[in-house]
Amino acid sequence: MTATPDDPLRRLIERDQDHECEGFGAARVCVRVVAVAELPTRFGRFRLVGFWNNRDAKEHVALVHGEVVGAAEVPVRLHSECLTGDVMGSLRCDCRDQLTAGLEAIQRQPRGILLYLRQEGRGIGLINKIRAYALQERGLDTVEANLALGFRDDERDYAVAAHMLHSLEVRSVRLITNNPEKIRQLTQHRIEVAGRIPHVIPPNEFNRFYLETKARRSGHLIDLDRAPRLAEQSDPVVLEEPPAPRGAEEP
Amino acid sequence: MSRPPDPAVLIVGAGVAGLSCARALADAGRPAVVVERARGVGGRCATRRLGEQPVDFGVAFLHGRDPAFLAALAEVPATALPGWPLAARGAGRPCQPEAFTPGELRLAFAEGVSALPKHLARGLEVRLRARATALAPEEGALRVALDGAGEARAPTVVLATAPEQAAALLATVPGELPAVASARALLDLSRSRACLALLARYPAATPPPPWHVCFPEGSRVLQVAIHDSAKRPGAPALVLVLQGHTAWSRAHLEDPGWPAALLEEAGRWLGPWAARPEHQEAHRWLHARSDRSAELSGPVLLALPGGARLGLCGDRFAPGGGVEAAWRSGRALAARILEEERR
Repeated sequence: MTATPDDPLRRLIERDQDHECEGFGAARVCVRVVAVAELPTRFGRFRLVGFWNNRDAKEHVALVHGEVVGAAEVPVRLHSECLTGDVMGSLRCDCRDQLTAGLEAIQRQPRGILLYLRQEGRGIGLINKIRAYALQERGLDTVEANLALGFRDDERDYAVAAHMLHSLEVRSVRLITNNPEKIRQLTQHRIEVAGRIPHVIPPNEFNRFYLETKARRSGHLIDLDRAPRLAEQSDPVVLEEPPAPRGAEEP
Repeated sequence: MSRPPDPAVLIVGAGVAGLSCARALADAGRPAVVVERARGVGGRCATRRLGEQPVDFGVAFLHGRDPAFLAALAEVPATALPGWPLAARGAGRPCQPEAFTPGELRLAFAEGVSALPKHLARGLEVRLRARATALAPEEGALRVALDGAGEARAPTVVLATAPEQAAALLATVPGELPAVASARALLDLSRSRACLALLARYPAATPPPPWHVCFPEGSRVLQVAIHDSAKRPGAPALVLVLQGHTAWSRAHLEDPGWPAALLEEAGRWLGPWAARPEHQEAHRWLHARSDRSAELSGPVLLALPGGARLGLCGDRFAPGGGVEAAWRSGRALAARILEEERR
């Protein structure tokens, strides 16, 4: 499948040349579709859609699978950038598991979108995240300290995400999430949420701790070795049931 | 003799952050008491007088883009100088480069920048010359020892001082409370920047320079020369405020020769006349500003065992830094306090 001038995604670039609306959310953020290209990944083929926004230098992107422009009930996953988790495979958070599970879930559907929301583009977000980790190491992990270091601005996330979905001319979405708050927030921004797809992560050697402990404290998931893990995707983790022992499947 | 009733909120520090917090609480019908170690309000939003002529020797002008902050500036009953500084020279780095970006509104007051804190403080109970020296939790409240002014108690105490001063107060809290330890760790993230500042008045015949502010590119000593008398309509005397670079200021805090060095540098970059004022006054800002790399997203309100609450606000506790951040952090903290009280 090659991009032709008739490609609906490419037409969005032309449409958005002069786009300027009143914006979404408290910050009145407005985005434009400015670039589209093929992106083959280890999870399957996507097209990568680049968005410009009028508020900051963060370059938000959408990974698009199948035909989504004008489509209804499109599976959509929101993912907030996490350099340490997504790229470096950090075990302090579950971001990489959530990202890969999201991309795989979308590929299993006829169509779908993963909105990759840039969080740490301003630098300060990543630095303050490192500071939050340093406080945790000193046993000073308080909700207040993490709030002050605040590397998440969920309200802004949803406003940007909603505008991106409107820009992609998605008629309605089925949100891949375990967090009903995300549905409520997107609905406030005039996104029609036609349903929810549970976000289920296959267990692996690194995330078994979620199965082994149900302990939660102030939004944090607690590892067996007591190292707190931040729930950075504001989405509670649901793991698939572990596969039954091999022997049990034998007739 | 009975003691006056405890206020619901006691705020330490009558700078812009503390006053904006107190103002927002008062506007919501929850008057707070503000204690301030200095003789006047405003902190770094500081104006003094050379004769009759106001001189801003800390913050040189106000800038921001938050509509609520701009509305608060518009309310100040003083002669606004919109857009000031209107003429900037030099390619050196301003202390807040955003001040000169599109969309940012700049402003000075002919009466001096202290018009803002004075206006915020109107009708508030502010106890001057009351320096907080120690903090202790006590039966659902916090007790604040005040140097030379007895003590005060309140269920909620807000520290709206420089981060170093707040950290020093927290160090006096007896015992090891996790909330206090994490607040101290937040305050320890970064040291405030120092700034050596010199007010210089020049002889009557000196022609005024054609700029309002000058950021000499290449000087590692002089960060900015501010043409302060350009803010005073009909000002009788040419007055500059010279502010030193952070690293140089830090290195020369204890050097008695710093005013001479700053003047010599002014002479080199602005013209020989600038090195020869007829009158000068020096001021050392130990906690001039917070580094942007230490910026936090919002104020802190900690619950202490026993039910007392401890708040932290200031220019570090809101995005953007400077007076606007200080003002916003105070307002945001007031909103948090009111929200907690409603629960």
